[in-house]
Amino acid sequence: MSAATVRAVPEMPSGSLIRKIAWHWRHDDKRELWIGWWTLVIFYNLYGLLFFLIARTQPPPPPSLAPSEIVQWFDDRHYGLLYGYAFVSIVGGATAIMNATLAYTMRRMSVSRAFAYSYLVIYALATLPGMLIMGVACTVGAMRPDRDPELMSWLYDFAFLSFEGTMGVFLIGSLVWMVAVLLDENRVFPKWFGYLNLCNALTEVVVAPAWIFKRGVFAWDGAIAWWINMAVFVTYTTVFLTLLRKMIVREDFGSGPLPELESDHALEPAGALGAAR
Amino acid sequence: MNRRFEKRLSFVWLALSAITLAQLALASLGEQDALTPNAAVTSSAIVIALIKVRVVIREFMEVRYAPVLLCRLTDLWMALTGVSLLGSYFVGMALSTG
Amino acid sequence: MTTVASAEPRAGGPDERAGAQERARGVRFVPGQPDMWVFVLFEALVFTSYFTVYVIRRTQSPDLFLQSQAHLDLRVGVFNTLVLLVSSWAVARCVQAAREGSFSAALNNAYLTMLFGFVFLVSKVLEWATEIEQGFGFTTDEFFSFYYFLTAIHFLHLLIGFVVLGVAVYEIRSPARRSQELVETCATYWHTIDFFWVLIFALLYVMR
Repeated sequence: MSAATVRAVPEMPSGSLIRKIAWHWRHDDKRELWIGWWTLVIFYNLYGLLFFLIARTQPPPPPSLAPSEIVQWFDDRHYGLLYGYAFVSIVGGATAIMNATLAYTMRRMSVSRAFAYSYLVIYALATLPGMLIMGVACTVGAMRPDRDPELMSWLYDFAFLSFEGTMGVFLIGSLVWMVAVLLDENRVFPKWFGYLNLCNALTEVVVAPAWIFKRGVFAWDGAIAWWINMAVFVTYTTVFLTLLRKMIVREDFGSGPLPELESDHALEPAGALGAAR
Repeated sequence: MNRRFEKRLSFVWLALSAITLAQLALASLGEQDALTPNAAVTSSAIVIALIKVRVVIREFMEVRYAPVLLCRLTDLWMALTGVSLLGSYFVGMALSTG
Repeated sequence: MTTVASAEPRAGGPDERAGAQERARGVRFVPGQPDMWVFVLFEALVFTSYFTVYVIRRTQSPDLFLQSQAHLDLRVGVFNTLVLLVSSWAVARCVQAAREGSFSAALNNAYLTMLFGFVFLVSKVLEWATEIEQGFGFTTDEFFSFYYFLTAIHFLHLLIGFVVLGVAVYEIRSPARRSQELVETCATYWHTIDFFWVLIFALLYVMR
């Protein structure tokens, strides 16, 4: 498959942002990719806003709270939980676009399409523990504040264990992406990003003790199981959003190695990565 | 195999092993005080560990021959680790016993 | 930029000797893929943060940690450290041998590395079994939680190390495939596991 045929495209207008966006909408070959990328960026920011500032379910509260304290926790967040997760349920579908964009990067690689498809399946499933179950459990709790405190405790545990503890899906997903990047000969992503996927995967393993401990650094709110894990995850997410943007800029819609950006030629070690094999 | 490098590697390995065995010997001497916190033992354990790490990085991992940036980055990490561990220990001990 | 010049793919043969001569002349090169170094530094930062959390928690209950630590056998820790140091030595020799074109020596050293790695694994599992038999499990107390956590996450890295060594062996075995850069990359990963253990040993077994 050769690169896209050239057709006459009017010059991008200078001037207002609206005119530039309109131009991209009509003439940019990569508009779907850019829509995908912007969806990722906007969604992650919204997600952060909703979980951290509105619903305030992150950073997570301690597992060791007594039922009466848990009732108080729900009470403090009554409106935040209801409105926050209502909003999450509206924008939640955006994850489909996000996962498709990431799966696209694997389709562009020289590796089997199986990688892209398995990634899609894994991350489609991941929206359950990663977003929806907590949303449902928390809103169920917030909806009837006069529920039996023991039931509220149940909802609380269910919400946080599903959210913080089910890292297995993300672990396998990271490994799939890692192997794809390391085997890829089209240089879609640098090899160090493949290794960073391994770092991310390993920190998911570190969360597993959260199922066992109700206090201390290994509990679901602990220094190791949450804080350090989150620092790695945020770094990882920022990195892949940046690399994804670069990839879209480089994209030539071919099936061979992706061209490098001119500014990178000075930095790229000659013959490194795939070519060395 | 290039004799000089082979000898250097062997020497480095022997030195690292000797330091490790020395740590065992030192620890056996202080058996009776095993249940009291000891700042000297702790600091020397951490410092010796970092020295061993530096030797592994510079000799086994060949960072000696690497561009200066890599030397600096690895040294920076070692310094950060040293400060972090020793700092946490001394500040932490002061806070908990003070 | 010397980095760019020396990072040419260095397969076996005259290039290898050139590589050794380059180094003798003082030309600097990055051992293995620079990408692996990104991983090493990042993972090292993560481990430093785990170690720091451990030290902080330790200073908050020094007596508990000391009493529990007394149930560990320092000699086993020393044995583990010596075994990994030998394995690092073996993989460093493997890299040297491959660089100079002695591929059967390189292969032998790679297998030796795996052997020592395996000795470490067996020793670690036996140690865990002994501790558990004596009644010290993951949830016994905070010291043991850290003990199992740190040794287990290190163990996991070691298991991955076998896969990595497998890649190195695969590279060395076929004349068509050999990539010095990839062999060095694998060695870099292995050494990292070694120096993580050096720190874990100091923190779990030696410090007071």
